[in-house]
Amino acid sequence: MDSAPSSSDPRPVYLPERDHRRVKILVTGPLGVGKTTAIRTLSQIPTLHTDEVMTDAAVGTDDLSLVGLRNKSTTTVAIDFGRLTLPGNRVVLYLYGTPGQRRFLPLWEGIAHGALGALVLADTRRLDESFEVMDLIEEHGLPYAVAVNVFPESPDYDLELLRSKLDLAPDTPLVTCDARVKNSSLTALVELTAHSLSLAGAQA
Amino acid sequence: MSRGQQQRRLLPSYLATGSSSLPARSTLDSLTALRATGVPPASYHTAVHQRVVRLLTGGALTVIEVAGYLGLPVSVSLVLAEQLVSDGHLKATVPLPDALAPSNAGRPSKEVMEEVLSGLRALLV
Repeated sequence: MDSAPSSSDPRPVYLPERDHRRVKILVTGPLGVGKTTAIRTLSQIPTLHTDEVMTDAAVGTDDLSLVGLRNKSTTTVAIDFGRLTLPGNRVVLYLYGTPGQRRFLPLWEGIAHGALGALVLADTRRLDESFEVMDLIEEHGLPYAVAVNVFPESPDYDLELLRSKLDLAPDTPLVTCDARVKNSSLTALVELTAHSLSLAGAQA
Repeated sequence: MSRGQQQRRLLPSYLATGSSSLPARSTLDSLTALRATGVPPASYHTAVHQRVVRLLTGGALTVIEVAGYLGLPVSVSLVLAEQLVSDGHLKATVPLPDALAPSNAGRPSKEVMEEVLSGLRALLV
């Protein structure tokens, strides 16, 4: 960390000069479900990676009392993220790829704050693994949409059956998606945003 | 709409008065944009401080991007940014000025979400 400045720092892609808003969307789901692929597909900059470290040093500043961290002094959580400037340069979207396991709960407090919503990626071969992350999101009051990432070898379900298997609320968007395909991933974000907007409208 | 909010000072007064202690809770967000002001780093700044300032000399980046480019955890990037902002080496801009309104609780306003929606739709081909 205290290494000498190196010339190997990658060339940064700076933000638009004009006044803009920056909006965060979480992309989450079980390990290996395609989060990083979706972010890479959508991002206009090379995706970046960072670690968030939770240590004993956070005691007193962050509320760790809820957490199952009693036996562990340090936890590192990887965040992959990408950036997408919308036409007109007025809004820059950030896509945060975050793991959905409950042991990362303290990290979620910070990450979920201010987010427009969360896109939950699911795999039909292991739908049960998506429950943990959907619970986490609901606890944080974040709007979410579920995108079933289509893998070549995954069984073909119809959406109504998937909806009942995932026990989704009737208004929660559910789409199938190929995380490698831009339009497909964009459509999932459109569904999520429209849902967040309708929830915001209902509250007003 | 919320121009007044945008002009708000980003740091609490106890930092503005020159206290060297760090705030218990961060005043910056991972999407706070940072840019070098042109005030060069001082001799007491570490090599990492200097790398942050150098990275932000050519343009603005968010706290999380600084972390990504320099290989730092987000929490470290936040602390460095706070120090450099309070010393006048970096200028910070909040990600969503209207989210500071109590009714929005930090979330994007409806207007911003509408812009996101139409922007995403415009990208669909």
